[in-house]
Amino acid sequence: MSGAVATLPRGELTRGLMAQLRVVHALALRETRTRFGQNKLGYVWALLEPLFWIGTFAGLFEVADRGTPGGMAIVPFLATGVVTYELVMKTANKGSQAINGNKALLFYPQVQTLDLILARGALELATYAVVFALIIGGWAFTVPRVRIDDLLVLMNGLLLAGLLGMGLGLVLCGLNVLSPTVERIRGPLFRPLFWVSGLFFTAESLPKQVRDMLLYNPILHCIEMVRTGFFPDYHARHAEPMYVGAWILGLFFFGLTLERRVRHKVQLT
Amino acid sequence: MIELHSVTKAYRTRAGDHVVLDRIDAMFPDQVSTGILGKNGAGKSTLLRILGGAERPDAGQVVRHGRVSWPIGFTGGFNGSLSGEENSRFVARIYGADVDEVVDFAQRFAEIGEYFRMPVRTYSSGMRARLAFGLSMALDFDTYLVDEVTAVGDKSFQAKCRAAFEDRSERSTVIIVSHNMNTIRKYCSRAAVLNGGRLRFYEDLDEAAEAYEAVA
Repeated sequence: MSGAVATLPRGELTRGLMAQLRVVHALALRETRTRFGQNKLGYVWALLEPLFWIGTFAGLFEVADRGTPGGMAIVPFLATGVVTYELVMKTANKGSQAINGNKALLFYPQVQTLDLILARGALELATYAVVFALIIGGWAFTVPRVRIDDLLVLMNGLLLAGLLGMGLGLVLCGLNVLSPTVERIRGPLFRPLFWVSGLFFTAESLPKQVRDMLLYNPILHCIEMVRTGFFPDYHARHAEPMYVGAWILGLFFFGLTLERRVRHKVQLT
Repeated sequence: MIELHSVTKAYRTRAGDHVVLDRIDAMFPDQVSTGILGKNGAGKSTLLRILGGAERPDAGQVVRHGRVSWPIGFTGGFNGSLSGEENSRFVARIYGADVDEVVDFAQRFAEIGEYFRMPVRTYSSGMRARLAFGLSMALDFDTYLVDEVTAVGDKSFQAKCRAAFEDRSERSTVIIVSHNMNTIRKYCSRAAVLNGGRLRFYEDLDEAAEAYEAVA
């Protein structure tokens, strides 16, 4: 057989890494087909949901006659917030279902829970990057000129948001195996984050006391980074990539430890 | 070749720990096909998953040489909403094999006709097993782990499987778990009985059959 396994020249680590990449790649390809069942409309939904929130809040801002902080254009202001937030939440959501939705795959020894999470996370990240580009692209038709300040900072913010979602998903996935109740309380538990993650405000526009408290929330940091990358005249002094990174490391560490502890409880049917 | 060094596995139940594998030492050398007999619930499938690596033992060590298959049987391994072809692509990819070759081989071997392009959830259990066998044959493993093949497909498909295994008996080894001695006789040259967490090997199949009769 023309297996890559046999022909790889270098040591164990490279081989292990290649095997893992192969698995994640195969899983990601598969997930693109099954993300919404056989229904291709699912991808349209990924676009419609953020659009719905953006529309709703743009309307509310209009009715309340409230301006955006620093006079940012309303569509990208909301899009940076909503898309980044959705990315974290949907990735966590998909990740938490990784074992339940893919038990059959754990039959193959080289497929591990982490691979399932990484594959789903990569797919969500790609999906929402496209969603963001589409929304901004659509909006660009309505304005004379669009300038994105620093694409790298923007992408970094989205990447960290995706990784944060994967970390959360990994932990939830492990907890799910322990108790199905987790899935039920996840919704109510996460819902407040919608209001405190900076979807419709910036950290800069908050009074210091409130800001210091809300800055414990890593999602706010991600959104601030995306905005800093997008808007030429916005600079979030409080966004700390390292802080988000610490959260991600912590979540992955805890999640992987948990996974190792509960793995034997997963019934491979 | 697969070696087990005091492999132990227990399941926690309400009535306390239930030990299914109790410090098992075993050697499955190349080119010796082994049948493992055991009653339902004796831990045969668990043993097979541990041999393959899908499950970890609580204690002890498993050493594998060469490429070991996943446990091939009726269940597991397929996504119901994807077609047989798509599932084959996936499996080919994770094993780093040539995708088109594997798909082609699996399709020809499984002989499930148009169903190959339909979602696996529409398959009968026999068709699933046919696909699983076709796929595993396409991948050229050194050791095949087979779970309960007794009733896979009709006579001609069984003959085909046996021929395929015989064909590659020079380079591949088969480990079959079953509660049916006849299956073991068809494929294996030696057998072991799994009972009460212990695995006992018999070089003579008749001896194994007797020992199995005694516990079953």
